[in-house]
Order: sequence, then C-alpha cells, then structure tokens
Amino acid sequence: MRRQFVNDPGDVVPEALEGFAAAWPRHVRWNREPSYVVRAEPAPDKVAVLSGGGSGHEPLHVGFVGRGMLDAAVPGAVFASPTAMQIRAASLAADTGRGVLHVVKNYTGDVLNFRIAGELLADEGVHSDIALVDDDLATETDDADGPGRRGTAAVVAVEKVCGAAAERGADLSELVKLGRRVVAGSRTLSVALAAGAHPGQSRPSFDLPEDQVEFGVGIHGERARERRAFGPRRELVADMAAPLLRDLDLGRGERVAVIVNGLGATHDLELYGVFGEVKALLEGAGIEVARSLVGSYVTSLDMAGCSVTLVRADDEFLDLWDAPVSTPALTW
Amino acid sequence: MADQISPAHADLWVRGFAAAITDADDHLTDLDRRSGDGDFGTNMVTGLRRSLTALPERPDSPGAPFQALSDTFLSHSGGTSGPLFGMWFRDFAKAGNGTPAMTLAGVAEAAERGWATVTRLGAAKVGDRTMVDAIAPAAESLKRSAAEGRSLAEGLREAAEAAEAGAEGTSELLGRKGRTSYVGDAALGAPDPGAVAIGLFFRAAHASVTQEADEAR
Repeated sequence: MRRQFVNDPGDVVPEALEGFAAAWPRHVRWNREPSYVVRAEPAPDKVAVLSGGGSGHEPLHVGFVGRGMLDAAVPGAVFASPTAMQIRAASLAADTGRGVLHVVKNYTGDVLNFRIAGELLADEGVHSDIALVDDDLATETDDADGPGRRGTAAVVAVEKVCGAAAERGADLSELVKLGRRVVAGSRTLSVALAAGAHPGQSRPSFDLPEDQVEFGVGIHGERARERRAFGPRRELVADMAAPLLRDLDLGRGERVAVIVNGLGATHDLELYGVFGEVKALLEGAGIEVARSLVGSYVTSLDMAGCSVTLVRADDEFLDLWDAPVSTPALTW
Repeated sequence: MADQISPAHADLWVRGFAAAITDADDHLTDLDRRSGDGDFGTNMVTGLRRSLTALPERPDSPGAPFQALSDTFLSHSGGTSGPLFGMWFRDFAKAGNGTPAMTLAGVAEAAERGWATVTRLGAAKVGDRTMVDAIAPAAESLKRSAAEGRSLAEGLREAAEAAEAGAEGTSELLGRKGRTSYVGDAALGAPDPGAVAIGLFFRAAHASVTQEADEAR
C-alpha cells in the first residue's frame, strides 16, 4: 500500500500546475484552458522553443520554461500526449513571428499531435518544425517501419542548447539542425528498482522481485524488455555505461556531457554515487567528462531507479550548455 | 431527395454519425479489446458527445458542423485515433466552409484529401488494418461516382457500401500500426474498429440526404 498526497486523482495535474505557477510567478504563467505554461516575461524577438508531453515526468517540461531554455511547455494528462489544440495554442502564444521549434520525445502520440499542431499552425502562417529526441538505447531495433527509439533524458540537453542558441538569435532551421545533431550524439539507458504508481493508485504499475532490476525501462510505467539480477551499484552502472559507449562509438580523447537522472524516488546520495562510477568508467576509457548534470529531471512518477545519458560534446555544444539559464528546475 | 449537402444536411450527417457510434459503442469497444486496448468506443462516444454540444445552432455552411467536430477531437484527444479522426473531419470542414452546399464532387474531394491527410500523419497504407482500409475504397468510389455523374444519394450509398466492405476486409488483416501491431494474430477475425467507424460515417452521410433535412430538425 502506497500513500500519496492526493485529493481527487483526476485533479492532480491541473492542481500541480496551479501550484507550480504560483510558486514561480517571476518565471512562468499557466494558461488553464487550453493548458500550457509560458514565460512570465515573453522574449520579444527570437525563435520560440517549445516542448511538451505527458505529465508525470516533472520537472520536465514545465520546469524548463524560462530565460535560456523553453518559451513554452505543454503538459498532457499523466503519461498521455498533449492535444494538438493545446500545442497550437501554446505555439501561438510563444511565437514572435520567427517560428516555433517543437522539441518532441519520440512516442507515437506525442509525434502525431505535434505534427498535427504543425499543420494547424501552417494554415495560420506560423512556421514550426520538430527536433525529434530518440535517445533510449533499450528500444533500438532493426525494424525501419517500427516506432524507433523512445525519447528520454537527452531531451534536457536538447532543450538547454537549443534554448541557448535561440536566445542568441539562431533561426528555426539552424535550431532543428542543432537539435538533431545533439540527439544523434546522445544515448540513454535506464534501470528501475521499483515501479511508480499512478495518482490515486496504491499499486505500482508492475511488481519487481527484490533480486531483480528492470533493465532498459521506459518512463511510462511499462516493463522493460529485460530483467537482470540486482547487484552492487558498480556492476549495475557498468552494465548501463558500456553499451552507451559502444553504441556512440566514443573513442579515446573524445568529450561527453553526462546526465545521471533520477526516475522519481531515488535519492541524490545514490545518484551522485552513480555519477562518480560513470565518470571513473569513462575516464578509464580515455573519455573526458566535460560537463555533468545530476538530479531528478525526467521522472516517471515515483519510480525508483535512474538513467545514464551520454551526450557527445564539441566546442559549440559546450558553449551553449554553459550559457546562462534561469528556469525553475535549472539555473546557472 | 437532396442533390446537394446543405448546412442542415451536414448537421444531420454529423448527428446521425454520433448516434450510430453511440449505438455501436459496446460493439466497437469489444472490437478494440481484440485489436487494441479497448478504449476506442468510449473515446469516440466521449468525443462525439462533446462535439454535439459544440455544434452551431444554425450552421452557416456545410463545413461548420464538421469544423466543430474536428476542433473538439483535436482539443480533447491526446491519443492517436482521436486526433486522426479530428484531421479526417477537418478535410470535410475545409471542403464545406464558405460554400452554401456541397456537391458529390465536393464530398469526393474531401474524402480524397482526408485519405491523404490520414495516410501522411498516421503513416498507414491500405492493408495495414486501420481506418485507411475503409477510407480508401470509399474515396475511390466517390471519385468514380462523381465522374460518372451519379446522384448524391447513389454516390453516398455506394461509398458507404465500399467503406463497410473495406472495414469487413480488415478482419483478415494483421495490424502493423498503432496498438494493434502489438497483439499479432489475436485480432484476426474481427474488423478494425476505426475502419468500422468510417463505414458508419458514410452510412450517416447517405441517411442524411435521403430524409428531408427540415423534418428532423
């Protein structure tokens, strides 16, 4: 039996958004109907950067609305895509006349609704394009007709650097190219130690024996393709990092940004331990950890577990990563 | 018998479709349980019920009822089949907006555009066990009927029959898109609920022009 701070489970998302906007009045404003979050002070003349997806992944995406990152975020219901009309309304609110970049995690519903929103916007003369994020190595397949890799924590890196580039005046096509380049150099693997529970539900979405972990888990409460033996952190982390290195074909002397991301119920004490392990492994392979981000940024309700993301980093990426950012969930 | 679709006919068409889907709710839900996750009927009924409250009292064009239908589906459906239906209705709205009445050729053009839209966005082709398997034969039938100068009622009846046959044919198909792609041959023997709904859509079109538009209002 799991207890939660909930009144009516159906009200969890709008109540959280109301509280979020009230807690960050200098950063964001929440539009209730249709539901979207925009900057409290809209930027005057730049390509708008917008993202969205199901709720339950907080602080993603609403926590990244602010100077240097997103202009707007569109939250759906828990683990459900926002609607096309929500995305359209948020895009119209954020557009300054220079077009809108949609940063979209690769899920069928999200992609469809963002593409529909793009067509609705085109009919109104607003230019938009999609930077698709598909970094989850666990969902790699050979099926060209399939849905492809899912999008997970690399979306934070894409929102950060595209947000910074937009702030510096990049145009829409440059931002799309930049986003796609970051995604092409990003891979993530996630491991769950325990599933999360939907608001109002006392049972987690799957049961996991104490001696096993869900290896390659997604962020929507579905099971992974594979269960592996639970073990000490160093073994689990080595299992996560090695395939990422292999798939990105990282060689000695290359630089990466590392994101160690908590999935909702894993403590920073554990996450920093994981990061230390990843860094040691990478340095052992001659790869420089140029930047790092450790914390819970892309969660799956109260799932226990973490993801490790490697992002290939060049000078341009690092310069944009370091650019100032001021959002509820990320500030430097 | 009407030879063009007036705003009142379009209103009847949309209301008739909503009534048919509501009547078929349990059947559609059952079909979707076999091929997807079982929420298709409920989602359609919910979407249509919302749309009915958004329908204009006196539509000023045959596009207006379809516009209300489309906007409602695109405003409230965050899944995949709901938004695709929203975009399908939208091509009928586009064809009927700003004109006093739609001809059979106009309906044929809307269906052909809708077919292209759903194919483009849903990436489904004929034979993938989706709504496209009912849309394609209906659109082709409408185009043929319009070219041959058939009456509106005849053209819509044949389109409904073509869509229903196309939907029935999906019983023999393996799903390749959407949730049905996960269940493999468990869905064989039952038609795709999205395709069945397209059959009901054209059946409602035919019914709307064979009754006097005024008497049902």
